[in-house]
Amino acid sequence: MNSSPRLSLARRESLWAYAFISPWILGFIIFTIGPMLASLFFSFTEYNIVDSPRWIGLTNYINLFHDQLFWHSLGITFKYAVIALPLGLVFSYLIAVLLNQKIRGINIWRTVYFLPSVIAGVAVALLWGRIFDPKFGILNPLLEQVGIKGPGWLADPQWAVPALVIMSLWSVGGNVIIYLAGLQGVPTELYDAAKVDGATAWQRFRYITLPMTTPVIFYNLILGLIGTFQYFTEVYVLTNGTGNPARSTLFYNLYLYQNAFRYFHMGYASTMAWVLFLIVLAFTLLIFRSSDAWVYYEGQLRGR
Amino acid sequence: MKNKLFKLFTLFAMASMLLAACGGGAAATQAPTEKVKVVIFVGMGTGTDPDQVDAQNKLAEKFNSTHDNIEIEFLIVPHEEYATRYLAMLSGGNAPQLVGPNGISTVAEFFDTWEDVTPYIEADKLDLSDFYGPAVELNTYPDKNTGLPLGLYPSYIYYNKDLFDAAGLDYPTHDFDDKSWNMDKLREYAMKLTVDKNGKNATDPDFDPENIVQYGYDDSWDSMRGTLADWGAENVGRPTTSDYKTAVADSPEWIQGLQWLSDGIWKDHFIGSAEVQAGRDSAGVDPFGPGTTGMFYSHTWFLAEGLHDLSFSADIAPFPFNPKGDRISRIDADNFTIPKDAQHKQEAWEVMKWLTSPEIIVDVCRIYGCIPARKSVQATFLEQLKTDYPGIDYDVIFKSIDYLDKPNNEEWIPEWGKIEDALNNGLSLVYSGEETDAKKVLTDSNAEVQKILDEYWAAQP
Repeated sequence: MNSSPRLSLARRESLWAYAFISPWILGFIIFTIGPMLASLFFSFTEYNIVDSPRWIGLTNYINLFHDQLFWHSLGITFKYAVIALPLGLVFSYLIAVLLNQKIRGINIWRTVYFLPSVIAGVAVALLWGRIFDPKFGILNPLLEQVGIKGPGWLADPQWAVPALVIMSLWSVGGNVIIYLAGLQGVPTELYDAAKVDGATAWQRFRYITLPMTTPVIFYNLILGLIGTFQYFTEVYVLTNGTGNPARSTLFYNLYLYQNAFRYFHMGYASTMAWVLFLIVLAFTLLIFRSSDAWVYYEGQLRGR
Repeated sequence: MKNKLFKLFTLFAMASMLLAACGGGAAATQAPTEKVKVVIFVGMGTGTDPDQVDAQNKLAEKFNSTHDNIEIEFLIVPHEEYATRYLAMLSGGNAPQLVGPNGISTVAEFFDTWEDVTPYIEADKLDLSDFYGPAVELNTYPDKNTGLPLGLYPSYIYYNKDLFDAAGLDYPTHDFDDKSWNMDKLREYAMKLTVDKNGKNATDPDFDPENIVQYGYDDSWDSMRGTLADWGAENVGRPTTSDYKTAVADSPEWIQGLQWLSDGIWKDHFIGSAEVQAGRDSAGVDPFGPGTTGMFYSHTWFLAEGLHDLSFSADIAPFPFNPKGDRISRIDADNFTIPKDAQHKQEAWEVMKWLTSPEIIVDVCRIYGCIPARKSVQATFLEQLKTDYPGIDYDVIFKSIDYLDKPNNEEWIPEWGKIEDALNNGLSLVYSGEETDAKKVLTDSNAEVQKILDEYWAAQP
């Protein structure tokens, strides 16, 4: 009786490894790569879901650059990103620094600050919709207590995006936890040595804490960038998918959604998705490129 | 051997998991049954409230117990998901057999997806004369009939009698021939009904517009087309010419109507702004129910939604004559439609006929709050109205049907959703106070609509 040649141990291990990860790989190919490739194809077609896609080459891409609402929605998304991203990074970092202090009941505080980030975006939106209500919300009466006449917030085209930025700060718990982990990873002997050398609290923060946590800041920056460019759920819920008042909250993804599911220009929406992908990719690469100048990895040698 | 068995078992387990993970569609391959199932997609408009869901299930039981070859099932979809769910069903090859109740707007929104029911009507030699003429017309387009009429929702003024009494005003006339009931009169009444926190009305020189506690008039639940359809423009509720090639949203009548609205909000203060609407939305109340709006312009569907448990007396009156001396009272309508991709169209047609039959249509309309589109059941329905909404002038409801907007404010135009959004952006500019000059708003909106039309026609093969 011939026995088949036995596979080497390494080969067998590889095969088993592939076998075990195959559900994920198959899922990734079917549910991620497949739709991505399909959307790339659709971006070169006119496709209304009902009829078969019709190949139109680069027409969607050309039309996109002549579409005023494309630029308008991109502008609003940039405006939001420029305000919300740095503000969120700084705000969550400061809270993480505060939550890194050795004080009584700190775990309760950490839980309190993290709690909002486990609430679904829709619930957050509905909650803040009530808070921002100019007539019946709690925010404007509080402002009135200090002599400020509150704006119309989400009903006011000038204040709608700032209101969404304020809302975003409420859910920074995820960032805070990551920062906290980074802060707790800073070796205490560095602080001890700095104290011996007479460094002030600010100097310890500026020359030890900040540089040592730049990898975490970098990580949160990348994720935050992607998140702000994908901003959708809250604005969809709060404006019922319209982007009003007066299109002041017509974010890129909302306009993309409108094209896909309201105007049935699925091909055009796919084009928008790919352009967004390229924009986010370009910014991500830029940030990666810049990281050499400001991200410090312990044990890393410069230039390697 | 043991090792091989283990490997086989592992592979079998993995294959099972994979099949289980991807097996969503497996349930769809059921053994054939004798009854053909007609899934009715509900969510495009009304029909998703818990009471309505129960009533629809009872309706399904009634149908299923009396039909041997067809079984119906109402598929309830949250209204905010109707577009994505419907399109997902279409693109997945799983189209519902019937969709409804469908407003004129959602018929227009998904216009290309509907089957033309003309051949079915002709094959059955169905007599449509029992339906109100306008109800049939609203479903009839040059190239297709989208479905049998189910119900109509004429519009009129809901007014708060207590607020009129407190202001010492006569109630709006119910006489459809009284030409003195016009937009100027409405404005005059509305200003007297608008009150600030000091109790002064909007005609008083000391009126405080910053602290209004009661508004005279509201029409905030409608679109730009709906808001301006009654002002007597040549194309009434349609922002294009009849060939759909030229935008006419900047007609003098529409400009006059929008300026009346803008002045009502920002100059005369008898209409609430976007901030006021946001307050109501976040509180989850309608404009009329809290009792702080003198007159609310809306449709029959508001009977079911808002005329329950009021803490004040209310009645209804005709919408006023427009400045041209005509009365146009915009109308909504509902029907059921068959998607082109439905697998059991003939059965869907049978269900559509049943839902709109004289024996059932009153029950169906009671669920959805519409006026049955059949003349023969008007008396039966009237008795029902008297029970459900005692003390209102039912004549106003039925007479308002005669003044419908034609072309209708929700009817199909090319790029329906895009043009709606372009126009509604203009309305939002006015309500938010970002731009109060109606001419500028409509000139810009018209240019945008024209561009959309030009692109649409340029892309036609």
